[in-house]
Amino acid sequence: MSPILPGERPKLSSRARLQTDKVTGKPILLYPEGILILNPTAHAIVTHCTGDETLEEVVAKLAAQYGASPEELRPDVIVCLDRFRSLNLLEVLA
Amino acid sequence: MSRSIPRPYSLLAEVTYRCPLHCPYCSNPTQFSTSGSELTSNEWKRVLEEAAELGALHVGFSGGEPLQRPDLAELVAASRAAGLYSNLITSAIGLSHTRATELKGAGLDSVQISFQSDEEPLADTIAGTRSHANKLEAARLVRDLGFPLTINVVLHRGNIGRVAQIVALAETLGAERLELANTQFYGWAFQNRAALLPTRAQMEVATEVALAAKNRLLGKMEILFVAPDYYGTRPKPCMNGWGNRHLTVNPVGDVLPCPTAGGIKSLRFENVRGKPLRWIWTESESFNRFRGTEWMPEPCHSCEFREIDFGGCRCQAALLTGDAATTDPACSLSPFREQLTEFVESIQGTTGGTFGADTSRVAYRENPV
Repeated sequence: MSPILPGERPKLSSRARLQTDKVTGKPILLYPEGILILNPTAHAIVTHCTGDETLEEVVAKLAAQYGASPEELRPDVIVCLDRFRSLNLLEVLA
Repeated sequence: MSRSIPRPYSLLAEVTYRCPLHCPYCSNPTQFSTSGSELTSNEWKRVLEEAAELGALHVGFSGGEPLQRPDLAELVAASRAAGLYSNLITSAIGLSHTRATELKGAGLDSVQISFQSDEEPLADTIAGTRSHANKLEAARLVRDLGFPLTINVVLHRGNIGRVAQIVALAETLGAERLELANTQFYGWAFQNRAALLPTRAQMEVATEVALAAKNRLLGKMEILFVAPDYYGTRPKPCMNGWGNRHLTVNPVGDVLPCPTAGGIKSLRFENVRGKPLRWIWTESESFNRFRGTEWMPEPCHSCEFREIDFGGCRCQAALLTGDAATTDPACSLSPFREQLTEFVESIQGTTGGTFGADTSRVAYRENPV
């Protein structure tokens, strides 16, 4: 698994479904044999994984949303995306 | 829900025990009568809604072969409406283009197809019927329709040498997940265990091959390899604990903590026709009997792993010791471990034939009456 590049566009895999857990009200990702309970940051990242935005655009939008600098946010976003990728929940489009 | 009772995360809906395949490793009960008493469509819909209300997020439609139920798409639609992520666990026999399209339209989320091996003659011998070619066709259909595809291969002495080729097949078919699960010895599989258990040497090679493939395919295909617990020193954390995360409803509506728990004759399991699912999950004697750690005998009760493996598997304890409340003999600390080790040693050095030297002793799965 090579590192995701700034110009590449992350897209949530069609095998994952994002929904709200009725019991806890938290956002969750459902996929074959698995469940991920998302924290607010991961949830925000997932909502940008549409395949339309590049990694840099995602980082810029999140930075604006959270009032942080892209430099601060970038490593966390990459860690989160790598986690999704290792679970085969993310496609990376050129 | 009372404070100490967890929520279930998944429901296994065993909609029928009927199956066109005859795999000798099947964990279905060897003797079971379902004639005229399978749950109706409306009963299943109620079960699906009640499970979702309890907190379940996943439903697996299984069996037997779930496609034997003509109302499957209706049940899938009810799952979708209840917010459940649905998985069809199938042999693929009966998965025509019409049927698959209908299921897609109903909102089915993913499909898991069982394969018996990567090559036709061996696969068909294991299944006890011609089926491999159908499976290949169905797997392509599933991918063409945009379903995520899981390939599941139950491993045993007859096919464990084919792990590398099975991985290659899964890659060719575009599977996103591959389950290489060694036979669990319940039901038919328990009857056939002398012919099914791989040798230690076979198991070691397969483990290495599977691990290498897992690393190579990280991010592309998820690979799950389950080693036979007969070779382990710690028991498997069966179902992540009894009545902890999972429930099974069998074809006639009995509610079980796992698919094989019906084999524990000392317990009486409740039926969805008689009681609401919530009551069965939270209040019933059968679901509370082995919940938590209080029920545990020694060496489990004071064991540092008691919250990790939960004393192993209750069904296996019942099968191997006659008492479901004992430590799983797969644990090296079990007083019954020695008998299991003797069995394991007795099959070392067996080779030849699909199921080793014991081909004539293999009992192929038959359908319930």
